[in-house]
Amino acid sequence: MARKPNDEIELTGPFRLMVVGLTVFAMLALFVFWRIDGPRAEAVRARVTDAFAPALQWGAAPITWVGAIARDFQSYARLYEQNEQLREELRQMKAWKEAALQLEQKNARLLDLNKVRLDPKLTHLTGVVLADSGSPFRQSVLINAGARDGVREGWAAMDGIGLVGRIAGVGEKTARVLLLTDNNSRVPVTLQPSGQKAILSGDNSALPPLDFVEDPSAIAAGDLVVSSGDGGIFPAGIVVGKVVLAEGKRLRVRLEADMARLEFLRILRSHELDPITSAGALLAMPPMQGPAAPTAADLRASGASDQPGAGQ
Amino acid sequence: MIDPVTLTLWRGRIGFVLIAALLVFLALLPIGGDAGRWPGPDVLLCIVFAWMMRRPDYLPLWLLAGVMLLADTLLMRPVGLWAALTVIAAEVLRTRSVLMRELSFPMEWAVVAGLMLLMLLIYRFVFALTLLPQVGFGAGMVQWLWSVMAYPAVVLFTSYALALRKPSLGEIDAYGRRF
Repeated sequence: MARKPNDEIELTGPFRLMVVGLTVFAMLALFVFWRIDGPRAEAVRARVTDAFAPALQWGAAPITWVGAIARDFQSYARLYEQNEQLREELRQMKAWKEAALQLEQKNARLLDLNKVRLDPKLTHLTGVVLADSGSPFRQSVLINAGARDGVREGWAAMDGIGLVGRIAGVGEKTARVLLLTDNNSRVPVTLQPSGQKAILSGDNSALPPLDFVEDPSAIAAGDLVVSSGDGGIFPAGIVVGKVVLAEGKRLRVRLEADMARLEFLRILRSHELDPITSAGALLAMPPMQGPAAPTAADLRASGASDQPGAGQ
Repeated sequence: MIDPVTLTLWRGRIGFVLIAALLVFLALLPIGGDAGRWPGPDVLLCIVFAWMMRRPDYLPLWLLAGVMLLADTLLMRPVGLWAALTVIAAEVLRTRSVLMRELSFPMEWAVVAGLMLLMLLIYRFVFALTLLPQVGFGAGMVQWLWSVMAYPAVVLFTSYALALRKPSLGEIDAYGRRF
C-alpha cells in the first residue's frame, strides 16, 4: 500500500513513551498553573467558554424547551390540587398585600424623616441562563451577559425572589454564576429575627448548611436568612431562604430561589471593589456607605453659623 | 485519490470528535444537574475505553489529549488533571492492545472497571493533596458504578451502531501492516 509522506509516523518504543510523558507532563503543568493562579486560569477558561457560547445558544434552546415541557408535564397530573393550593395562597397573599401597602407608606414616611439616600448605583441587569456546569460535582450556570454588558466579578445574582449566587468568571459575552449550592460558595448571611451572623457554605446538596453560627440554640427552624453585606461584596438584605433543621441538628437553609429552574437571573450592580494590595488591606475595610465625611471647610461654616447661638 | 483505509481511519477520528462534542453539549444543557442529585455515568470515558480496546488508531494521542483538555475546560473541572489521567489510562491500554484484543468481554469489562476506579482514586488523592474542596466519596463511587454499568451499553452501541469491532486476524492498518 502506498504511504504518503505527510502521514504521521507510528511511534514505537522509548520515543513514544517520551511523547506520551511530555503530553501528560504538560497537562499536569496546566493543572498546577490552574491551582496556583486560579483567577488567570479561569479567565482563560471563560474565554474558551465564550467561543463556544454561540453554539450553545442556538443548539440548546429547542432541547431545553422540550425538557422544560416534559418537566412541566409532570405537574399537570396534580392540576386540581395545585389550583386549590394556589387559590388558598392567593387569599393569604391579598392579606399580605394590604399589610405591605401600609408598610410601604410607613417606610416612605420614615425614610423621608431620616433623609436616607438610597444608593443610586444599586441597579440590576438581567441575563438568560445558557448552560449549567455540565458536571454533577460543580454547581454553576452560564448566563448570556458578560464584560461587554459591564458584568463584574463578585456581583450578586438572584432570580425574582431570592439570592442564587455570585458572578465567578466573566467572559466577553458570557459570565458564570457560582451557585450557593456549589462546594466553593461561601456567603455571609444574617439570621432574622435573632440577628446572628453566619456563613452559608455550599456542599453540593440542595440544602446548604450554615457555618460559624454563634448560638445555634437561639435559632429556630423557619427563621429568615438574608445576606448580611459583610465583606462588602453583596448588598445587605437580599433574601436567601429559611432555616431548616437537618438530621444531626445541623442547621441548613432551604433556598428561596427556585434552583431547579433557573431561567432568568437578575445581576445586581455592586460597588467597585477595592483590590486587596497587601495583607494589611484585608483587615481594614473602607466604610461602604453613608454621607461623605464633613470637610474642615464645612465644619468651619457650620461652626460659624452656630456661633451666635453658642456664644450667648 | 484517498485510499479506503485512510478514509475509514479519518471517519473514525472525526466520529470520535463529534460524539465527544455531543456528549459535552448534552452535559451543558441547563436541564437537570441540580444540587443533591446523584451523578450519572461518565459516558465520554466509556467511549474512550471502548474505542481504545477496539480501534486504538482512531484515537491518536494528540486528538485524545485535545478533546479531553477541551472537555475539562468546558465542564468546569480542574484544567488538565482528568485529561492527564485519561491519557495515561488510554496509553496503558494502547501499549497492551495486542493483549486486549484477545480478552473476552467480561475480562475487558473488569479491566475497564479497574482502570476507572484507579483513575477516580488518584483524582481524589490529587484533590486532597492540593487542598481542593471535593464532594463526598459516595458520590464519586456512584458515578464510577454508573460508568461501569454503562460500559456494556456503550460497547454494544460502538460495535453495532458504529460497526467498530476489534480488528480481525490479518486485517491491515493504514500503512499496510498487520495489526
